[in-house]
Amino acid sequence: MKILIIEDEKSLSESMATYLSSQDYHCDVAEDYTTAEYKTEYNNYDCILLDITLPGGNGLKILEQLKEDKKTDGVLIISAKNSLDDKIKGLNLGADDYLSKPFHLSELNARIAAIIRRKKFDGNSILQFENITINTQSKTVTVENNLVELTKKEYELLLYFASNKNRIISKEAIAEHLWGNDMAGNFDFIYTHIKNLRKKLMDAGEADYIKSVYGMGYKFTGK
Amino acid sequence: MKLLAKYNRVNIPITIATLLLTSFVFYFIIHYVLIHQIDKDLRIEQQEIIHYIKEKGVLPEFSNYKDQQVEFQPSNNTFFKSGFSTEFEYNQKEDETESYRKLEFLVTANGNNYIAKVKKSQQETEDIVQLILKIILSVIIFLLFVLFIVNRFLLTKLWKPFNHTLEQLKQFNLSSKNKMVLQKTGINEFEELNKTVLSMTEKVSKDYELLKDFTENASHEIQTPLAIIRNKIELLSQSENLDDSQVNAIQSLNDAASRLSKLNQSLLLLAKIENRQFENTEKINLSIVLNQSIENFEELASIKNIIIEKNIGEDIFIEINDSLAEILVSNIILNAIKHNYQNGNIKINLTENLLTISNTGPMPHENTSVLFERFKKNSSSGDSIGLGLAIVKTICETYGFHISYLYEDGIHLVKLSLH
Repeated sequence: MKILIIEDEKSLSESMATYLSSQDYHCDVAEDYTTAEYKTEYNNYDCILLDITLPGGNGLKILEQLKEDKKTDGVLIISAKNSLDDKIKGLNLGADDYLSKPFHLSELNARIAAIIRRKKFDGNSILQFENITINTQSKTVTVENNLVELTKKEYELLLYFASNKNRIISKEAIAEHLWGNDMAGNFDFIYTHIKNLRKKLMDAGEADYIKSVYGMGYKFTGK
Repeated sequence: MKLLAKYNRVNIPITIATLLLTSFVFYFIIHYVLIHQIDKDLRIEQQEIIHYIKEKGVLPEFSNYKDQQVEFQPSNNTFFKSGFSTEFEYNQKEDETESYRKLEFLVTANGNNYIAKVKKSQQETEDIVQLILKIILSVIIFLLFVLFIVNRFLLTKLWKPFNHTLEQLKQFNLSSKNKMVLQKTGINEFEELNKTVLSMTEKVSKDYELLKDFTENASHEIQTPLAIIRNKIELLSQSENLDDSQVNAIQSLNDAASRLSKLNQSLLLLAKIENRQFENTEKINLSIVLNQSIENFEELASIKNIIIEKNIGEDIFIEINDSLAEILVSNIILNAIKHNYQNGNIKINLTENLLTISNTGPMPHENTSVLFERFKKNSSSGDSIGLGLAIVKTICETYGFHISYLYEDGIHLVKLSLH
């Protein structure tokens, strides 16, 4: 899977590239408008991470150009301007999603995965992890063909873990993913969700894949 | 006190006093002049009598007219001093006391001394003086009346441009971009006032714009470094073989960075609401927003075993930006979940005009009147940044909803009047 990171802040694009490479993406980086324009024109990417404020031009123009050329690359807008105008404009121009800075890398990764699933498989995607099968269309989870009854948030949590396997995910990232910004800091709820998810998966005959990492968060990792 | 009242309070007594004083002076002057005139007539009469006696050597015949009488009395007093005096006499015909002006002097005829008395009625003079006084007094009263009316209308009219300017100033709103329109007055003082007001408000607006831009730009500029910090921490935490002290350091860094970014985002949101940058106000079905929000948090509530009882009227619309409607509702519900007991409950009611959200929960430590202020938080929730309710309040103020909070008998009650 090829990803283009259009971001003028070098440290930031480095971090993104490092994290995404560990998730088996091939990352390409463009640091200014001209490079971005060139790369998007001559290459095809599964997903383009697009910063709106770029040296040399507005990132939204690249989006317009992509749509004009009828390219099907997924586009995730990343902006420091958490302004609704940009968000609405971007989504109207055909961007697939919008993420505002600062974000968690695990969140970025999950969003990219969702975009690629939608683009590549028309949303009809099956995620497999060990014996766990997640059907993202019907939003159901089965373990060896046995349906595991999960609540909405437990399902979202499992999908988030599965999109960020073998990586440590902080509690803040989980809280923000499940409830948005306001809940971060209230971790009692996360403990309960994880406890319940763990129990349901183990009841279905799976091993405990959710590892607590002291002081850091959780890691979803196979045998 | 109104300016007109204050002006009248000074103006009317001074006017009355001045007019009364001048009319007294006027009265005495006229009186003096008229008496002087009578005295002059009496002198002429005296001259005529003396002249007659000198020529004829005898006393003249009494010639009494209606208003002038002459009489002679023999006298031995050779040192009689002549002079004027006023005397009163009862007039039977008119049934009133009349005043007379009298001149007495010594004459010698046929070797005998006489005291001559020449009298003249003062009545007509008095009548004239009184008439003049009456005229003056009625003029004064009329003048005062006219003055009062004119002042009232003229002053109100004169102050109209001032009141207009004042009204404009009252309606002046920094966040609305409407320029002030002030009337041309043609009065120098008011023109100057208007000029000053215009230049001041322009300067204030400009400064405000600059400050707003600065705040927003600063917040935006902070986002990128924050993103770098958080992402590097995240990458760092992925490394293998971290020892405990490193883990602790990473955790502290992570907490601090999270709080900082949340603070920055909340402040940015507050600034944007206050700057009215959420412009696309539309009719939003609050019933749907509320139901969605409850659905989103139901699981969260069930973890604490909190029961949410809802009684939501259908299709209740409010004018608001849709993102802000969501933020408004979810902040209140989230608060009701956070500050609740295990096995507690939440009651949500929505009617045409009123949204009430009540929940069980421990008594607030803080004075509840400041709960909606920025950075005022109940100390039991050490992890929140204390801006959630400030955001709720700012949204309400922006869209004209009235919000109130009450804690009674173990129940927290948030009331939101919608119209």
